[in-house]
Amino acid sequence: MLTFVAGRFVSLCLSLIVASIVIFIVIEVVPGDPAALMLGLNAQPDTIAALRDQLGLDAPPFIRYFSWIFGLLSGDFGISYTYRVPVSDLIGDRLWVSVPLAIYALLLSTIVAFAAGLLAAIRRNSGADLSIMGVTQLGVAVPNFWFAMLLVLVFAIWLRWFSAGGFPGWDAGFWPAIKALTLPAIALALPQASILARVMRSSLIDTLDEDYIRTARAKGLTRAQVLWRHALRNALIPVLTILGLQFSFLLAGAIVIENVFFLPGLGRLVFQGITQRDLIVVKSVVMILVFAVILVTFLVDLAYGAADPRLRKNR
Amino acid sequence: MSGPDTSLWFAARTSRSFVLGATLTGFFAAVALVSLFWTPYDVTVLDIAGKLQGFSPAHPLGTDHLGRDMVAMVMVGAQTSIAVAFVAVGIGVGFGVPLGLMAAANRRTLFDEIIMRANDLIFAFPALLIAIMITAIFGPGAINAIIAIGIFNIPVFARLARGGALSLWTRDFVMAARVAGKNKAKISFEHILPNITNLLIVQGTIQFSLGILAEAALSYLGLGAQPPLPSWGRMLADAQTMISFAPHMALVPGLAIVFTVLGLNLMGDGLRDIFDPRLRRSRQ
Amino acid sequence: MKLLSVRDLVLDIGSTPILGGIDLDVDAGQVLGIVGESGSGKSMTALAIMGLAPTGARLGGKILLKGADLAGHTEAEMCAVRGGEIGMIFQEPMTALNPVMTIGDQVAETVLVHQKRSRAEAREIAGQTLERVELPQSRFPLNRYPHELSGGQRQRVVIAMAIALRPALLIADEPTTALDVTTQAQILDLLARLVDEDGMGMILITHDLAVVAEHADRIAIMRAGEIVERGPATKLLLNLKHPYSKALFEASNHVPARAGPPKNASDEPILVARDVVRDYVVPRTSPFARPGRFRAVNKVSLQLNRGENLGLVGESGCGKSTLARAILALEPLQGGQIFLQDRPVDAPEARRQMQVVFQDPYGSFNPRHTIARSVAEPFHLLGAAAPAGSERADRVALALKEVGLDPKDGQKFIHEFSGGQRQRVAIARALIISPALIILDEAVSALDVSIRAQILDLLAELSDRLHLSYLFISHDLNVVRAVTDRVLIMKSGEIVEEGETAQVFNDPQNAYTRELLASAPSLDEAIARRLKHA
Repeated sequence: MLTFVAGRFVSLCLSLIVASIVIFIVIEVVPGDPAALMLGLNAQPDTIAALRDQLGLDAPPFIRYFSWIFGLLSGDFGISYTYRVPVSDLIGDRLWVSVPLAIYALLLSTIVAFAAGLLAAIRRNSGADLSIMGVTQLGVAVPNFWFAMLLVLVFAIWLRWFSAGGFPGWDAGFWPAIKALTLPAIALALPQASILARVMRSSLIDTLDEDYIRTARAKGLTRAQVLWRHALRNALIPVLTILGLQFSFLLAGAIVIENVFFLPGLGRLVFQGITQRDLIVVKSVVMILVFAVILVTFLVDLAYGAADPRLRKNR
Repeated sequence: MSGPDTSLWFAARTSRSFVLGATLTGFFAAVALVSLFWTPYDVTVLDIAGKLQGFSPAHPLGTDHLGRDMVAMVMVGAQTSIAVAFVAVGIGVGFGVPLGLMAAANRRTLFDEIIMRANDLIFAFPALLIAIMITAIFGPGAINAIIAIGIFNIPVFARLARGGALSLWTRDFVMAARVAGKNKAKISFEHILPNITNLLIVQGTIQFSLGILAEAALSYLGLGAQPPLPSWGRMLADAQTMISFAPHMALVPGLAIVFTVLGLNLMGDGLRDIFDPRLRRSRQ
Repeated sequence: MKLLSVRDLVLDIGSTPILGGIDLDVDAGQVLGIVGESGSGKSMTALAIMGLAPTGARLGGKILLKGADLAGHTEAEMCAVRGGEIGMIFQEPMTALNPVMTIGDQVAETVLVHQKRSRAEAREIAGQTLERVELPQSRFPLNRYPHELSGGQRQRVVIAMAIALRPALLIADEPTTALDVTTQAQILDLLARLVDEDGMGMILITHDLAVVAEHADRIAIMRAGEIVERGPATKLLLNLKHPYSKALFEASNHVPARAGPPKNASDEPILVARDVVRDYVVPRTSPFARPGRFRAVNKVSLQLNRGENLGLVGESGCGKSTLARAILALEPLQGGQIFLQDRPVDAPEARRQMQVVFQDPYGSFNPRHTIARSVAEPFHLLGAAAPAGSERADRVALALKEVGLDPKDGQKFIHEFSGGQRQRVAIARALIISPALIILDEAVSALDVSIRAQILDLLAELSDRLHLSYLFISHDLNVVRAVTDRVLIMKSGEIVEEGETAQVFNDPQNAYTRELLASAPSLDEAIARRLKHA
């Protein structure tokens, strides 16, 4: 088990290094002169030179890369060009919105998907199964930002149960903050839950066809016992894979949803960074998001190892 | 070519998912084609006086905030969505499938390892992040959307092709082809590719629908198609601020996206059932 | 009272009749052997008794266990019977165990679902039961996972699960079909011992007449959902009445008529291998470890002469298939050389002289190509010299005719053929370029006995007429004995014994050969033993 964890950890670090190189190349090397790009066409040469100096652009690329990486490791993300404050402060504030939103949506989608997938698999071809499959088919097809707009229309404009957007901050109290995140989380969770429920159902149905299920039945286990003791844990293994892959879609979705609800999260930050051509902000936020995806992949791999004893050995 | 074809065709006609999905997909594809030659109104002509109309005989789906006919807007928007998604799937298939086939043919070599690691790496960059980086450098545009979605499609198809090919490489008919002296490229082309086409077609429809969703999201954020090029995502972005007094502006393009994606997904599900002989037998 | 009496058991799935009126009796302490080819309904009979017939199956008749009719039981009552009164073992030990649960928990579960006992007590019973099936706690503690065990060991765990509560009846459905002969012999002995010790009744279902001839007290022969003949084992075997039973018996003991290799065959060696070594790189166990090496073939030398049939026998993992691939020049060697008619096997001229027939008649053909296209594939070896147009079509037609198929079949696809016909097509593909050597890699192992006899006849006839040499690779000693001139016995990558087939089988010199021969079920020997006892 220890070698398994160590092996996964090494691949985590390698992925991070390669990802950071890719981001660095795309943002700092491809455009030629990032300073000129950030300042736009009408910039004075001396302003550009000042910015180049501030960004340390005159150093060779690999020195710049390492100073960026060491900065990241020590929590120094540079100074935002447009906001004139450390990027780490900007990101720190925004994380308090984006991370709770992601967790909220993940919990919602996982709970709903497990219940729905389980019900559909047990009552295969029943009315419940058909309606769950119908709803999830729709859920997969609905763009989450459009669904978010419909939620705003119904629950904020017509029913006035929620506000149409904005975030009061955690200082306003736990429940108001959660309330502000509820519609965004539902909008984010719907497509995820639909996909997960479908995977859960088909995985369970496949597992119930396995030889060892028949062996367990021959031992005298009832259908329900077989499901809980044997099928569920095996069926979860492919579901975990999808859950890991889904996380990156969840992050991407969060960027869009934050813009629908005007939530001051990472998504809005990076979006504003683009419109203001603030490459320093864009570079750091993209790196953070990629780090999150790679970290979740690592955690899913570990969960995989815990769920499936075959993986702990040879791999 | 009598046997398998007729039974496939039979299965296709009797699959409810496939028929419904193909009808929906066909409808929107036809709409996009027709819009190349004819639209009820010209979407480049603004009619501010006639803005934000509701449903009427002259404008069955109403008009938008600039007085443009929604039917015409949705028709032209279909072009953008379908074109972007189609090219993006093309990029994924064009690069991903050959890479996957080569990786499988050279299994457990450095080449295979590099391809798989590169795939994992791209999976860490959701299409939206790629689009954000591209836009930050080159500015927004439909081409960005195509590149971003296309890049994300490459590992999807590479993995699928590799996985399907790996299981085929262990089959005896491939061994027989090797005994017949055929090289890896020839075997990949003659024996492997035809036997993973079904998988690729099914995944293709799924990626197509994901492409339409992704294009809509990018355009909605202003990272994709730029005005005056109409696109369903942009229409939704325009609709957002007016949703309280002109909800039809949000409903119409949204439903267009939902039905297109639904059609593609149903078609994919149907194809999967049709291609899986196990399921086909149980239905007949 | 009989332990189990099945009366007029009928089973339909949809409108298809699967079982048409089965009568069976099993006494305590006795073994009933059910023999039949694939599709005869023998497994379905077992599942019907267990109440595990697939959904949609309709059941009729009586299944009396100690006088109580199981057919009238509710699902809850059947759950109490399964694992408690009746235990069952299945064919595929590799997939029969839950991969994410320890073997101790899986055996203990049988106890826990039937009796009110603590976990600790259940685990203790599990430990004792695993000892009974010869998995000692010192080497196989309860916290092992299935993937850490071999196929034979996993089958022992399945047996332990079935007998943990000492059921009155044990149903074993092809319990050893997926196992090697030596393992098969051990498992069958274990089952016989458990039957004796617990006074259990057992139904032993198999396709292999020799297995029931050795182990059953009573025998029932099934075909197409019906029992064609049944009775006490000795009486039945010595005096088969039904034509199908006789045909099955014939096919099981079939020796194809063959002229054999020409007199001066040894002057004309076709295939010569010298000190062949093949190593595999074993995947790293951790990212820091160095990749290991596994020697699959270790300094193997062999010679095969014109018109000769050479057998290569060994258990799974002994390296025989690796050796076959090395001969076909599909794998690089780490030592030694292989020559076909004095040319290295990877030379194009040598490749033109050999072909192969594989075990799996379903996987041997690209499902998207016509038979004609598949059969013509080896022409690729001839390069520009390959026949084209009508000559090519004629050659394909001729090859199909040689193996007893209609040349018109060439336009069909592989799924339109039965298993035996597919193997004929595979032979046609091997014949098309008139090779000197055909490697038959378990070529008849997946076939039912009656089909197998026909294919063996076809192979013998072709060998005689076309002076073909065969390298006949198999784990089935009976078949190798019937069709080969010389035989090589392979174990752990090495040839441990070689010689004339008759001599090796009658007077084996190597200890492993003797063990193999003793393990292989033999119909003749079983009947001889029964005669002596009678």
